[in-house]
Amino acid sequence: MTLPGTLDEAVAALAATPAAVPVAGGTDLMASVNSGQLRPAALVGLGRIGEIRGWEYLDGNALLGAGLTLARLGRPDFAALIPALAASARAAGPAQIRNAGTLGGNLVSAAPTGDTLPVLAALEATALIAGPGGSRREVPASHLLAGMEMLHAGELVGYVRVPLLHAPQTFLKATGRTGPGRALASAAVVLDPARRHVRCAIGAVAPMPLRPLEAEQWVSSLIDWDGQRTLPPEALAAFGDYVAMACIPDPQPATEGGEPPPPLPPVALHLRRTVAALARRGLGRALA
Amino acid sequence: MTGTGTADGSGAVTATPAHGTRLGAAGGTAGSPDGVGIGLGASLTPVDAAAKAEGAFAYAADLWAEGLLWAAILRSPHPHARIVSIDTAQAAAMPGVRAVVTHEDVPGDAAHGRRVADRPAFARDLVRYHGEPIAAVAADHPDTARLAAAAIAVEYEPLEPLTDPEQSFTAEPLHPDGNLIRHIPLRYGDPDVTGEVVVEGLYRIGRQDPAPIGAEAALAVPCPDGGVEIYTASTDPHTDRDLAAACFGLPPEQVKLVVTGVPGALGDREDTGMQVPLGLLAMRTGCPVKIAATREESFLAHAHRHPTLLRYRHHADRSGKLLKVEAQILLDAGAYADTSSDALAAAVSFAAGPYVVPHAVVDGWAVRTNNPPSGHVRGEGAMQVCTAYEGQMDKLAAELGLEPADIRMRNVLATGDLLPTGQTVTCPAPVAELLHAVREAPLPPLPKDSPEADWLLPGGPEGAGEPGAVRRGVGYALGMVHMLGTEGADEVSTATVKVNGPVATVLCAAVETGQGFSTLARQIVQETLGIEEVHVASVDTDQPPAGAGARGRHTWVSGGAVERAAKMVRTQLLQPLAAKFGMSTELLTIADGKITSYDGVLSTTVAETLEGKELWATAQCRPHPTEPLDETGQGDAFVGLAFAAVRAVVDVDIELGSIRVVEMSVAQDVGRVLNPRQLHARIEAGVTQGVGAALSEHLRVAKGVVRRPDLTGYALPTSLDAPDIRIVKLIEERDVVAPFGAKAASAVPVVVSPAAVAGAVRAATGRPVVRLPIRPQAAVGAPPQ
Repeated sequence: MTLPGTLDEAVAALAATPAAVPVAGGTDLMASVNSGQLRPAALVGLGRIGEIRGWEYLDGNALLGAGLTLARLGRPDFAALIPALAASARAAGPAQIRNAGTLGGNLVSAAPTGDTLPVLAALEATALIAGPGGSRREVPASHLLAGMEMLHAGELVGYVRVPLLHAPQTFLKATGRTGPGRALASAAVVLDPARRHVRCAIGAVAPMPLRPLEAEQWVSSLIDWDGQRTLPPEALAAFGDYVAMACIPDPQPATEGGEPPPPLPPVALHLRRTVAALARRGLGRALA
Repeated sequence: MTGTGTADGSGAVTATPAHGTRLGAAGGTAGSPDGVGIGLGASLTPVDAAAKAEGAFAYAADLWAEGLLWAAILRSPHPHARIVSIDTAQAAAMPGVRAVVTHEDVPGDAAHGRRVADRPAFARDLVRYHGEPIAAVAADHPDTARLAAAAIAVEYEPLEPLTDPEQSFTAEPLHPDGNLIRHIPLRYGDPDVTGEVVVEGLYRIGRQDPAPIGAEAALAVPCPDGGVEIYTASTDPHTDRDLAAACFGLPPEQVKLVVTGVPGALGDREDTGMQVPLGLLAMRTGCPVKIAATREESFLAHAHRHPTLLRYRHHADRSGKLLKVEAQILLDAGAYADTSSDALAAAVSFAAGPYVVPHAVVDGWAVRTNNPPSGHVRGEGAMQVCTAYEGQMDKLAAELGLEPADIRMRNVLATGDLLPTGQTVTCPAPVAELLHAVREAPLPPLPKDSPEADWLLPGGPEGAGEPGAVRRGVGYALGMVHMLGTEGADEVSTATVKVNGPVATVLCAAVETGQGFSTLARQIVQETLGIEEVHVASVDTDQPPAGAGARGRHTWVSGGAVERAAKMVRTQLLQPLAAKFGMSTELLTIADGKITSYDGVLSTTVAETLEGKELWATAQCRPHPTEPLDETGQGDAFVGLAFAAVRAVVDVDIELGSIRVVEMSVAQDVGRVLNPRQLHARIEAGVTQGVGAALSEHLRVAKGVVRRPDLTGYALPTSLDAPDIRIVKLIEERDVVAPFGAKAASAVPVVVSPAAVAGAVRAATGRPVVRLPIRPQAAVGAPPQ
């Protein structure tokens, strides 16, 4: 176990012990260790790296340290700045988890139910990755989540850059109980008035957050960006259905004219209805 | 939050909802205000409450002995497999490993069990459920033990698991005893009558886990005489000792079971599957050996509530009067019988609920499968049928256009009526009063009535709930449980009360599992002897047996024994005085350590009268006998019955199917309130457990393999899920055959609450709701207009 004080020291520590596993809040990692699924040869603790536990403004973006806890992200200052991210951080787990779990940990462990992930996808956030020898590279968070690009050995996510959109954003989550629980489905909806665009991402229904791009484009074209920015209920409902069908499509026959595939099971149909309701409510609240 | 309760300074042992309402304005209970006074009816605080609240209480997992070794158990990863070979050589050769035991090392009976000896201590040639013990290791470090257990090479030949209880009848036998554990064909009245109105339903109840706060743990210490002492949090020490001794091939007196650090129990705690390997390892190594189960092991190993499939047909006339109940009840027992026959007897006997039914045809079966083991979890059998017959009552009400509460009121049972088992209900059965009480209780306000309040919507504080999509529903349920053992079980408990100076001591093998027995024992002695300082000794198997802590047994049988012993001591104490003054002992009273005569002439203290002597007495209590159900399910099988009515108010987001229970109103038939605060805590805990069973608690299994055996995958109710609990009425009609007239209080709210929640969701959504826990897709209603 090493406890480096800077990002570069941490990267060096990982390079020195390639088998070491970095640990920040440990809310996912330690559960795997305790259940015997994981037995890391060594740990590099990221908790003492002050530089990644804060945040700053940078060219119209917020540069968020990967070590920011979910509890910190849920506080009112963030809620005013990046409302959807704050809402997702508040919705994540019980207080004990939020006090320990970090933004970077959420991104790197990339659990399908990670609550901040659809928000990062909808915001088109970028991960700033620190590598050996002081190298830095930038990768869209969605690429990391989709596995299009991976963290290389010895690399760490240092920061997450989030554009400041100065417009309403929502994050809605459906769970199995009233108390804290894992998402059955979640929806992040953000408005980007500068680019006249609505962006939406659906979490927990697939291994990574899903972006219904066509539905986004369609609904963006309906909104009067210079005026009231409201939509009639039918349009909101249609958007919800559009998103849900894109995220949970009907099965297609394997070949042209082949056997029609079996219909979706009731559980999947319920999930689709849930996604439709979340997307509709999310956009409705963002435009209200 | 609503609530009329007082600030809760109680240290009650049960987990109660954070904002539970203590007592509704209508609840008239005897006794003194919280924490004041002594004796029966006072709200005495448990002696260990502060230690538990402060984290200072030593649980079984905190046990320690000099030079102890750590044990780990190798459990089967398959639900059904043939064991081709077990090779322990590599594990035994690991540094730090002191002993490895398998089925070959079990000297005594290879099979044990609570009712039927059908469960091997270690699987021999066949594993029958995921998590069945195969071998155990003792090592000088817990990690070494765990690694060594993993290093035992077991060659399995996986077999197709039998997971559908309906297939069990025709499948290859899983066990030499066959797949059918018990069949009760109950026939009552005329089986061929038909009603003007008939409703049918198929209901499924999930697998609730007791999920004890502390996972199982034990310490075994070898004795010089070749025996062993086992320190553990058993709830039924004598049965556990006898089972373990049979496996060790030792006479029971060479095995001593010391009860320690019980973290609360909702079923049988500490299965013998753990005590036997531990004792074997201690005797093999000659060292103390400790085991502390992981949460995952705990979920795999201990008994669960029987998942149940119920098919019902209710016949009634046009006025809503019940004519006949037909039911088929199938209990999934898992691989071994355990207490399944008891659960089945309760399910079949209470299949019609607390309603008068002139004719009944009920068939109940408990069958073996390769699913996780089922056993005693409070309210077993009764809870599953309650959800089904109350679902049927709702269906009948809808069919006839009646209010759900009206149709129930038309059919309620009362003292003197017959159960479908032919047994006459002789105890108080104030079912109509209970239903009336919950019906008349004011409903909680709607959000539109107090818009300024901060409403918790279904889905939680950061959830997606939308007020426009939320519908409120109200559901009613009535239910019953039996008290004590059934069908001729010998219920006996023995207690000793000693008085020495100003201090009295109670010795009784009744385990304090959170039900409050040790507090009650103190109150009984205080009441009878007027001595304030009463100690309750810890429990071990050197004391005479008191039976398992379940179904109000200890309040009735052990409490009765304590009272008798205390009265005998009272007579010993007063007899010389009475003789001296030429009056009978009845004319003397003891209070606050003083003895006074009726006329005030005599006044002395207990200490003076004792003159330094120690007085003691031992007494037994045995309730009136019961008889087994015969081949048509007839017989006086129950000592007593307890009833409750619950009204559930739920909010459902009918688009997402998310449910929040807003309020549960409970009216309960308690016989007599002995400790108001403890009683309230027990009812609140029971309701909360029932809400868990209704909404989220189900241990998921895929092809016999337990999925996610952890507290993330198994969702217990949190403080946000626990509703406001309003105890609107406690009916104190004393049961004359019970000591103090008190009835079992903990199980009946567990039985009735899930049915009430299901009824409320039915009312909110218009959906049938035939499955517990209620899944979101079953609670999606018609789209909002």
